[in-house]
Amino acid sequence: MSNTQMREDEILEGIRAHDRRALAKMLSICENDPNLANVILDKLEKKRSHVIGITGSPGVGKSTLINAILDKMNQGVGENVNSIKDMGTATNKKKIGVIVVDPSSPFTGGALLGDRVRMQSHATEENFFIRSFANRGALGGLSPSIYEACDAFEAFGMDNVIIETVGVGQSEVEITNIADTVVVVLSPDNGDEVQMLKAGLMEIADLFVINKADNPRSQILLSRLRKMMITGDKDVVICLTNAVTGEGVEKLIKELDDRFFQILSNGVFSLKRKKRLLHHAQSIVRRELDELIQKFENDGTELKEIKKRLLEELCRKAHKNGS
Amino acid sequence: MVKVMIAKPGLDGHDRGAKVVARALRDAGMEVIYTGIRQTPEQIAQTAVDEDVDVLGISILSGAHMKLVPKILKLLKDKGSDVPVFVGGIIPREDAEKLKEMGVIEVYGPGTPTLEIAEQVKSFVEHSNA
Repeated sequence: MSNTQMREDEILEGIRAHDRRALAKMLSICENDPNLANVILDKLEKKRSHVIGITGSPGVGKSTLINAILDKMNQGVGENVNSIKDMGTATNKKKIGVIVVDPSSPFTGGALLGDRVRMQSHATEENFFIRSFANRGALGGLSPSIYEACDAFEAFGMDNVIIETVGVGQSEVEITNIADTVVVVLSPDNGDEVQMLKAGLMEIADLFVINKADNPRSQILLSRLRKMMITGDKDVVICLTNAVTGEGVEKLIKELDDRFFQILSNGVFSLKRKKRLLHHAQSIVRRELDELIQKFENDGTELKEIKKRLLEELCRKAHKNGS
Repeated sequence: MVKVMIAKPGLDGHDRGAKVVARALRDAGMEVIYTGIRQTPEQIAQTAVDEDVDVLGISILSGAHMKLVPKILKLLKDKGSDVPVFVGGIIPREDAEKLKEMGVIEVYGPGTPTLEIAEQVKSFVEHSNA
């Protein structure tokens, strides 16, 4: 649904020519007709972007941190690495796509998408593209068409795709299926040591950020995090930032670039991409199943029979689509 | 799904109205992008295009509507967008008429019931898609 329609071939041509309007329309197709989006995206070559997931509780400063990252990148911080041989040589400004997700209402389906408020100073930058998504009931803190949206940004040739999840609790870990690097943002009032030990969110970090580092309590959090790491088997870099002033953000960008270089060379990147493809397929099948369930009228059939019918319908649908 | 953007151009910081309307449209089942106060016409037009919104609402209480609204309309046109635009705020009646002549689809003053705005916004989108 959009005011001016663009034909499929216009969108393809537009994306290849780096026309923002074509990307904007493509992202709407991703949201409203992801199956069609996949067909179109299949025809486009995609850049190997560094997909960075930013996650954490509501109000820890995820959006503000992304704004600070964009500020610094605009000043030329961060390397334009797309292969190992680029390392240390590339100088041009990075092209960055930002996907921000906020929750939909479970009652009305409406949403208030407010992440952009923190990033509006970058709304007119040519090398940045920010897009808001409602999670439309999807579990895991992302949008149901997040895979398609990420592909669209890669097709547009972004160097980085930054995905901000909804403000999460403890168990929304879907971001780890799509991002090459997951940044978990914490703030000094995140709770005691037991919170650090819990499974879920704390485990998925490839990089921790303690934001609001001007708060003296951030040192306590830092020592708790370090203690947690000593007893675990994963050594994760911790960055302290103050997203409002930009303090510590340069170091964070450097750590992100280092990490990208590292995963490109140690094979983790290609492993992550294989997994991402699998989860993309899973999201498509899940969507098909959700559609079937919505149409399914239970007239008192037994559980076993319902399951059988759903699976049969799913197979029939797959054959019909030739996919 | 209807996607709306609510924007506040210019220098006044009175965002209560914009927030009340954003909230009402959210409760009417729309996806509402709120971009915060003190936006330039360029920021607003580019965001509306990038977000591919179905309708754009502009809130102004500073009295600068006759300067800012035409600027936004022109920028949108330059960027190839024909998104319907409505305006809310303290707008004198004769200015409201002029804004409508320029292409603004509706102007809402203080006291307009939010349900009325929500219903009309939905109908703007239906008309522009038809």
